[in-house]
Amino acid sequence: MRRLVICSALLFASLAAAASASHIHTSDDRGVLAPIAKAPVRTRNWKNPFEGQPDATAAGEKLFRQHCAECHGDDARGRGRAANLRSAGVQGATPGELAWFLRNGNLPAGMPPWAGIPEQRRWQIIAYLKTLH
Amino acid sequence: MRSFCRFLRKAFSAAISPRSRVSSLWLLLLAVGALWISPRAAAQETPYFVAYSHHLEEPGNLEVETYSIYGTQKGAGDFVAPWTELEYGVTAWWTTEFYIDSQTTFGDSTIFTGTRWENRFRPLMREHWINPVLYVEFENTTDADKTLKEVVGFDSQEDSAVPNSEANRSHTHELETKLILSSDYKGWNFSENFIGEKNLGHEPWEFGYALGMDRPLRLAATPQPCNFCRENFILGAEMYGGLGTVKAFTLSGTSHYVAPIAAWQLPNGVTFSISPGFGLTDTSHRFLLRWGMSYEIGGFGRKLRSLF
Repeated sequence: MRRLVICSALLFASLAAAASASHIHTSDDRGVLAPIAKAPVRTRNWKNPFEGQPDATAAGEKLFRQHCAECHGDDARGRGRAANLRSAGVQGATPGELAWFLRNGNLPAGMPPWAGIPEQRRWQIIAYLKTLH
Repeated sequence: MRSFCRFLRKAFSAAISPRSRVSSLWLLLLAVGALWISPRAAAQETPYFVAYSHHLEEPGNLEVETYSIYGTQKGAGDFVAPWTELEYGVTAWWTTEFYIDSQTTFGDSTIFTGTRWENRFRPLMREHWINPVLYVEFENTTDADKTLKEVVGFDSQEDSAVPNSEANRSHTHELETKLILSSDYKGWNFSENFIGEKNLGHEPWEFGYALGMDRPLRLAATPQPCNFCRENFILGAEMYGGLGTVKAFTLSGTSHYVAPIAAWQLPNGVTFSISPGFGLTDTSHRFLLRWGMSYEIGGFGRKLRSLF
């Protein structure tokens, strides 16, 4: 039984290591990071309902510090495998693509899906991200 | 209502004993101190006690949780069963969790009842209308375990009436599996869990279910940092119970509960939750009360690695 548990743990650890090796910093012909550019084309036209609302941007900054800054840094310049959110690879994406990406994440590369926080709050985060370019 | 009053009376008399006064003071300090922890790593997990949603722990985060359940008991003393959970996000699609269980039965004794190791995996890499998660848990507990983290087979309140000295002698090794299905819609989470549990000592498979739904009181966030605003409060409900065994798959003779939930999710990663539960059948405990606190430590894995 103990051997089975140890073997299972080793198997899961190697799977995790293999998954974490996937690279996220490649980009498409627009310069948008490949995992974000995977968003379906229809998402490109989604409008942020909070666009241009200073209160929503401030709320987005608060949410960014709660949920995102741990990996992407307080200045959003990224660290380790977490992308620089001020880079053209992120800022070149439309709000709709970012909304799709935030909801789905990039699990093999370590970005969790944020579908657990309400859609309104995800849009507020995007409103803030778009002020960082 | 009578059960709730009985719980309050017992909790009050326990709280005024000198030893409990010290631990109550610690709890109070912990709760007040929680408001001043730096704002980091707020969780997105749902506040269910029994059901699971598809939202896993964020990779590298460690969540330390301490929960308790009070239950009324026919034929023996009522009980309080505290348990501690250490939940770690190994990857974005794999969460592992370790439990330590114990219980106190009024008029009997306080005992350690075992440990559990659980793993949850997301097989699909994107969000869908219904998101499956596979759950596997190994339990090394005794029959005296009263945490009621799941209700399966023909579990009934009679099982909990066995004196601790006798129940604690019987060790059980169990494999518990769950198919977790979960959806998010307009701020709501709906979760359905199908449970299959196998005692590795040649007992038949036992089945159960858990359903959960919850929603924050306010969907959009306010611009100012705040502890008491509506966006930090979540209300929901759970329903769970047994479905018999592989030999007798039935609702007849099984226990079922319904339990509203309220949670206060502070922006700094501390969450307080409470859930009164009500037994729906003759075999169920009439009243259960669960409560607890969790704290999420963001970037725990990275901080740990930086030490070596």
